[in-house]
Amino acid sequence: MKKRILGLLAGASMLMPLSAFAAPVEITLWHMEQPPHRVARIQEIIDAFNTAHPDIVVKQEPQNWGEVYAKAPAALSAGAGPDMLFAIPDFTPILKNIGALTSVADFVAELDKKHDFVDSTVQSYSYDGGVWAVPLYNMAMSLWYRKSVLDGAGLKVPETWADWKAAAEKLSVDGTYGIGVPANKQLYTDQTIYSVMVNGGATEIYNEDGTLRFNNPQTVAALDYYAQLQKLSPPDSTSWTWGEAEACFVSKSCGMIMQFSVISSYDTQGGGDPADLGVAPIPHADGEKDHNTIAYANAVMLLSKDEAKRKASEEFIRYLLEPETYGKFLNMEPGLFMPVTADGAKAESFWGDPMATKYKAQIEQIIANSQNGRLFGFTSGRTFPSIAAISAQNVIAETLQSIVVGGKSAADAVAGGQDRMVEVSK
Amino acid sequence: MKRSLPATLLLGLSGLFLLLLIGMPFWWVVTGSFKLPQEIIARVPTMVPHSFTLQHFAKLLSGSDYPVYMINSLLVAGISTAITLVLSVPAAYAFFRLAFPGREALYRIILLAYAFPSIVVLIPLFGMFARIGLIDTLAALVIINVTFALPFSIWMLRSFFASVPKEIEEAALMDGAPPTVILRRIMIPLIAPGIASVGIFAFISAWTEYVFASVLILSDAKRTVPVGFSGIIGQYQIDWGLLLSGASLAVLPVVILFALVGRWFVSGLTEGAVK
Repeated sequence: MKKRILGLLAGASMLMPLSAFAAPVEITLWHMEQPPHRVARIQEIIDAFNTAHPDIVVKQEPQNWGEVYAKAPAALSAGAGPDMLFAIPDFTPILKNIGALTSVADFVAELDKKHDFVDSTVQSYSYDGGVWAVPLYNMAMSLWYRKSVLDGAGLKVPETWADWKAAAEKLSVDGTYGIGVPANKQLYTDQTIYSVMVNGGATEIYNEDGTLRFNNPQTVAALDYYAQLQKLSPPDSTSWTWGEAEACFVSKSCGMIMQFSVISSYDTQGGGDPADLGVAPIPHADGEKDHNTIAYANAVMLLSKDEAKRKASEEFIRYLLEPETYGKFLNMEPGLFMPVTADGAKAESFWGDPMATKYKAQIEQIIANSQNGRLFGFTSGRTFPSIAAISAQNVIAETLQSIVVGGKSAADAVAGGQDRMVEVSK
Repeated sequence: MKRSLPATLLLGLSGLFLLLLIGMPFWWVVTGSFKLPQEIIARVPTMVPHSFTLQHFAKLLSGSDYPVYMINSLLVAGISTAITLVLSVPAAYAFFRLAFPGREALYRIILLAYAFPSIVVLIPLFGMFARIGLIDTLAALVIINVTFALPFSIWMLRSFFASVPKEIEEAALMDGAPPTVILRRIMIPLIAPGIASVGIFAFISAWTEYVFASVLILSDAKRTVPVGFSGIIGQYQIDWGLLLSGASLAVLPVVILFALVGRWFVSGLTEGAVK
């Protein structure tokens, strides 16, 4: 008996250190916020989380949007993928289709109850009977201008397409361009064209049965109008991405641009006078009433199949969305990333940032614009797997290029664009 | 034959035009990296800087992982170059001198590896490397770089071997030198300019390789310059100063390599070898 007790005690003493010092759960976060200051801010948040949660260790591995579409599926299939991965709506179907995702509907419902998500941000990830990612931050396209420039030309902030084109023409003097819109076969051009399309009644690109309805009179009118604006833009706008447009505006070469935010560059390179920086909703077609825009609800996908890692990932996301943390997270790029939760939009950690304080009026306007945000292929529950290919191959931008570079009429280009969408969807 | 004045003038102007065409972008990038942000994006570009700052370099070197990317790139490119040379010189000599069955067929087949677009083999290679634990290692990049540089290097070096006068080898053979000694003591010194060319080719290929480095490397600490640098300049908001300073620094190792190895090109080692 004595021997047995001693044996048990010895066994217990051997097990004790294991249970007392169980290895923490390690989880890896892949995100695409690679600029050094963003990586540093995310690391600050991770460090604080790791300190507060000794049983979990989060580490980040920044990736590049350019490669992640191919890299993530390859890494996951090889068992080398992350536990959490940032996403935009058209990225999620790719991972869902290879079976990498399970619905996070219950988790999103729990967070929604506590923080109140902006509905459209959840909708972008809600289809096929599930919710496939947790919204984290929003980006909405707006019209940026300098108040002094519009005032100097005797112009008001354009409300309609007619006002907008007239303003762009009037501002095209002395070597400056009234407006800078891109015509590159690239995502930025997809975004700016769609921002015009949603303001001309061409919101949906799918019918309810999944067939395409890109080729319709509203889309033709929107692309025709956009091509007219492009003629008033710098000639190199056919190769622009976000950075070139922003530089054009900040250097006063362009009177107006469509952009998610110019605040950071304007502040450091464009004078930094908040009173002169104007931001407005994208003008709408003359027959329309409401201003709409494109909005990208960035989110995080949970990829781990391991229960402990999944719970640890959820704990990290809960921490991230707490108002005390959330503002710090959003302000990794002040003025660019907008809150997706009601309590986040009021958080002291968000508005307490010096840049947010300085450009409060502009940020409030962006948040207001984002309320009417839509995303092509993710509207009205009409989300179909082919949107991933249509978006990845920039078919909308390609359609515009066939007008401004190829010289086609808008009607022919849009018809060709729909054919191309059908082709890439196969 | 003496050139006429108009022909000389035309030649000079053409040369100057080409020099400006090639040199101006480099000038703009390097001088731009010392300009203040406002001047970089000014409406009217300035070819001669009106301002001077080191802030972009300071931010690049102290505020980002660029130095880590540089060290990784130097390691990968240096080791890849060394292995490529160690393997390609004897292989090229074997294809040039030794008689073995299927030599000509094999000589042509090895170039097939160079003909495949890298993107085609990317995903299968990822799976293979994952199985043997090479994902997220610099060794994976070295293997890839050597694999892709080797076929062309062998082809290049075989041509250099063929240009060496046959009499030199015959003289060594008559003195009883075995093939390894002939290669080491006679042929390698004679084809030094060719080895330098292959070295530069292998180094630049590895230094600029992007596709495999972007997919096979997962963590920031293992990234090479092309991939790491493309990330730190930003997407929605480009830091132009960071972009220009990073680009200026990225060409430095290649320029230094040319400066060091360039001398080999003009040494004319075969001159006077045959009397």
